Amino acid sequence: MSPAEAAWIVLLLPLLGAVVLGLGFRVWRGITAGIIGTAAVGLAFVFTLITLFGLLGRDEEGTRQIASSLYDYVSVGGVDVKMEILVDPLSVVMLLVVTGVSTLIHLYSIAYMRGDAGYTRFFAYLNFFVFSMLVLVLAGNFVLLIVGWGFVGAASYMLISFWYRRTSATKAGIKAFVINVVGDVGLVLGVILLLKETNSVDFLDTFHSAKETFGEDGSGSLTAALLLIMVGAFAKSAQMPLHTWLPDAMEGPTPVSSLIHAATMVTAGVYLIARLHPLMELSPTAQTVGAIIGCATLLVAGTIGLVQTDLKRVIAYSTMSQIGYMIMGVSAGAYVAGMFHLMTHAFFKALLFMAAGSLISAMAGEQNMNKMGGFRKAMPFTFLAFVIGGLALSGIPPFSGFFSKDEILAGVASEGGWHWILWGAGIFGAFLTAVYTWRMIFRAFWGPPVPEAKELEEGHLHHAAEHRNPATGEIEDTGVGFPGPEHHIAERAPAMRMAMSVLAVLAVVGGILGIPHVFTPLEHFLEPVFEEAHALHHVDTSITVLGLIVGSLAGIAGIAVAYVIWAKPTTRGEASTAISSGWQRRFAPVHRLFVNKWYFDEIIDLLIVRPVRGFGRWAHDGFERLVIGGAIVGGTTGAVRGASAVVRRLQSGYLRTYSAVVLTGAAVLVIYFLTQS
Amino acid sequence: MYHLSVLLWLPAAFAVLGLLVPSRTTRWVAVVGALLTLALSVVLVLDFEATGPALQHVTDATWISALGVRYELALTGLNMWLALLATVGFAFSIVWAAMTPLGVDRRAKHVFFHLGIAQSAVLGALLAQDLILFVAFFDLMLIPFFFLTAQFGNGDRVPATIKMIVYTLVGSLLMLVAAIAVGVLATPPGAEVSYNIQEIAQRGVPEGSQGWLFACFAAAFLVKMPQFPIHGWLADGYKAMPLPVLAVFSGVLSKVAVYGFLQIAIPLLPQGTADLRWVVLIIAVVSILYASTVALTTFNARMVLAYSSVAQLGFITLGVMSLRPDGAAGALLQSVNHGVAVFGAFLAVAILGHRTGSEDLRDMGGAATKAPVFAVLFVVVTYAVLAMPGTANFVGEFLILRGTWEGSAPALAIVASIGVALAAVYALRLFIRSSHNRVGPVIQPREGARWELALLAVPVLLIIALAVHPQQTVEAADQAATRSVLSAAAAVSPDRARDILADDPSAQAAAEAAQSAAGGTGAAGGAGGAGAAGGADASGAAGAETAIDPATGQPVDQTAQTEGAGR
Repeated sequence: MSPAEAAWIVLLLPLLGAVVLGLGFRVWRGITAGIIGTAAVGLAFVFTLITLFGLLGRDEEGTRQIASSLYDYVSVGGVDVKMEILVDPLSVVMLLVVTGVSTLIHLYSIAYMRGDAGYTRFFAYLNFFVFSMLVLVLAGNFVLLIVGWGFVGAASYMLISFWYRRTSATKAGIKAFVINVVGDVGLVLGVILLLKETNSVDFLDTFHSAKETFGEDGSGSLTAALLLIMVGAFAKSAQMPLHTWLPDAMEGPTPVSSLIHAATMVTAGVYLIARLHPLMELSPTAQTVGAIIGCATLLVAGTIGLVQTDLKRVIAYSTMSQIGYMIMGVSAGAYVAGMFHLMTHAFFKALLFMAAGSLISAMAGEQNMNKMGGFRKAMPFTFLAFVIGGLALSGIPPFSGFFSKDEILAGVASEGGWHWILWGAGIFGAFLTAVYTWRMIFRAFWGPPVPEAKELEEGHLHHAAEHRNPATGEIEDTGVGFPGPEHHIAERAPAMRMAMSVLAVLAVVGGILGIPHVFTPLEHFLEPVFEEAHALHHVDTSITVLGLIVGSLAGIAGIAVAYVIWAKPTTRGEASTAISSGWQRRFAPVHRLFVNKWYFDEIIDLLIVRPVRGFGRWAHDGFERLVIGGAIVGGTTGAVRGASAVVRRLQSGYLRTYSAVVLTGAAVLVIYFLTQS
Repeated sequence: MYHLSVLLWLPAAFAVLGLLVPSRTTRWVAVVGALLTLALSVVLVLDFEATGPALQHVTDATWISALGVRYELALTGLNMWLALLATVGFAFSIVWAAMTPLGVDRRAKHVFFHLGIAQSAVLGALLAQDLILFVAFFDLMLIPFFFLTAQFGNGDRVPATIKMIVYTLVGSLLMLVAAIAVGVLATPPGAEVSYNIQEIAQRGVPEGSQGWLFACFAAAFLVKMPQFPIHGWLADGYKAMPLPVLAVFSGVLSKVAVYGFLQIAIPLLPQGTADLRWVVLIIAVVSILYASTVALTTFNARMVLAYSSVAQLGFITLGVMSLRPDGAAGALLQSVNHGVAVFGAFLAVAILGHRTGSEDLRDMGGAATKAPVFAVLFVVVTYAVLAMPGTANFVGEFLILRGTWEGSAPALAIVASIGVALAAVYALRLFIRSSHNRVGPVIQPREGARWELALLAVPVLLIIALAVHPQQTVEAADQAATRSVLSAAAAVSPDRARDILADDPSAQAAAEAAQSAAGGTGAAGGAGGAGAAGGADASGAAGAETAIDPATGQPVDQTAQTEGAGR
């Protein structure tokens, strides 16, 4: 089987799974749906491996890039789009991450979603998501990329709104969808502009002709096109200012947050920039913009993460921040590093979300960290998972995040000049990351056990007397569209534990795929894709070593600070909130800024949502009625009214006469014109 | 080989037959008639050769010899898919009406009689190759809807009907005048008046008159779509019409106006098009923005769809007036897509509002819990309405935006694309407010009846089929669209026509096909030497002087170039 054939099968399997689950949503009982869904994605992973080995079996030079097309998707008037996939090392690495992590999260969900009345629906959506993501990854041209881009947006929407009877969930869903459509629009316009210049939407054609078309230094239109395309990348990857949907997206079930809003979909922007590197290389402006936005996002998200009290939202801001690193990296030319971090991040962030899911289950759906504490003894496995994920996220050696984050920073710094500012910001971001991550861990697992934790230590799982939506306080039943009554924690569900264990191992050892100057199989595999990229080859050893040292120090310092503030026992033997509340008082304006998430939601509301809605209301209630209905229609009908007063008074049957009059009049006109000519 | 007249008159024949049989069987007669017509049109579409001559299955007979009016029908790349949309739409509407109280109403005979007549008229307008025939059918197709609204409508049906009549009457009369004038003005001294559309295109209408003639046609078409600010009949008309009737009215009839631009106004009046296209473009883009914002504030489910149609037709108009084959083909594809999506959307509203008759979004909610199958079907329709990437609606929109970017102005494409984002808001809002959240205060949602779900599955399956293989639809449209816009593009600037021909190898095939079609009337003999660049010379599209082809130095037959007959 050729790699391309295997890749088509990879694409087909989750679609098949989604269709089988979707059509049979009343047929599958018990965990059958979960097993079907998991099997479909697991098989896709197997076929991804076949693709990988097929590719590895080929000669390194040139032949590892396979485009395969099925039929003409749309071909008209100079637009020529084929149903086409592109299999190369870059897409295969992404495929491995997507299918691999997806399989584990499906496995986790078999147990975690058990008892939810929408069990089958959940797996149908999840499989559809994987299919969409694979379309995005494998797309061989811009249009199919946008198709995958749109599909993942839809899948993400459906899964955020999975518990659709919660108004908070449906609001979060439409917000995510609309912001992503804004991104899609940017992408579409960017592609149209590119198409104008290159006359092709095909990736390989565009890349091969890029230098010819745009010249070595690029051109204004290339930069404009890339900036438009990056609007799409920023929307999907939750970069400022299009990030506000991601924290709200935490309304979805936790496996969804883990899969879509941490490991796979939100990294699509990174993949896109890496995919378009032949173009990015020609436009320094676009690269600069990307690097700065990524850097700003990683800092802002880090500061917000410091003060959030919702467990999942903290991790969401952390995701945003980590993607900021990746975007900064790939925009500065550190493509391999960006993809490497994408991969390790998928491991440890998925793990963290899974652990958070387990913890939230134990809390009976409560996500507020203020109500958590002391779970160390009650949930040792979850605790361990949190610690491993937290260490990897904080970039502590030798965990995976340590190597990948440093590689990004080293890549950025080796650009020299003002890029050292980005490097410094990245190091500071690493410090923030360690602080908020360990704040979360210390607050949830240290301190005196909360009632739920105590109950769990005695062997009971806490169930709330009446289920309430933590966001709005609405009372919930357990019919379709609300979370199920059962709660599943890793300590008791083997499927969850299995998935988390695999990810924990990967989060620990994932770094070996790219130990600088020692062992770099990933770089070696990806290198042919990026061979023209100039920044790839010469990262100074001194920069790398400096980064490794300073980066790990920043991480350790962050953990230490978090410990002192949130975990260190006071003389009375319990954690004190004195330090944090003291700081909150002293830096009240800053604290308010962070708690209010830098007021992005409010600004967007003020600048966009309100004016549009206001205009709509004015148009609907005022303009339509007065001008369109009153003046224009009223005027015309008024004129007619006098003449047709009889018709108006009579009943509808007489309209026949009226129409006859119309036709006769028309006939008279015909005759008049003909006799005049 | 099928006679197009059979397709055209079959619905009318069944309409009359429905009057003759007992009232209880009328609806089944109508259903059989609609399905037969549908089957016939499918056969015709399958039989169409995309690379064949421009006009296929030609029927040509003298109708009113004294006036030069001919009864000429043909299937073209331009009308083929719209004709199929019409037969699908009427079949959908008639089956739907047959299953509702309308079908067993004591006046049911009227319902199906009017629908049948309307279908024949729509097919006539689409297939007509004679200008007067087109105008006659175009006016005829509206009349049954006046009766249907006035007799079977809800609420203020009589004022609504009068409003519709007044509006469309003004448009229709303007068009009638313009149509007659076009035929007469294009007639060279001594020749007989002809209203054959190809003939007029070759003869050419004097440039000086093209402006007002185009304005008249455009007014008629824009009222019919409708576009801002001449959409005054829309709100009352949509509210009054019974839903099965409204589905076909909104899904099919507005497309005939789109078709009118591509079939008549643009190819016959290239200079007028070139002069006035910015007026139409601005109207279109304002319609998109205005109607989208209204759609996202109104609480009436029906009105969301009504204004969304205005916005979607704004996009389609943009594509048509881009005067590029990609934009025009995208507009045709989008016409089909929008029609199909609208069938589904109106049926969904009917299912949602069935119990209480309320179509207010504030009364709805939670349908997905009680009606999961319905919700799944509805969400697919919603995605089509908002043109999610992956649906053919997205492909249409992509082609339209591309055409607009290249053919009109990048800024226009960018402004229009705001409408894409707004569409996501109003379409999802409609879905969420009706199907998600908690069960609403007034309407207890219920799963649709079997027949309702089966009927709703039809547009859903069509949406999926179109999404998987949109090429099917644009293939035939490609050449026809090129033919339709080329002379107007040349009238805007010679470079533009050259670009179209150079950009697109199939355009050249289209030009050849046009030539072979024209060859039949013996008018394009001199066009043989016109190269691709020759098309660009047709800057004075309908001018009388002879152009010189720079490639060959040969004098080139001007009229043939106006037709776009470069090789």
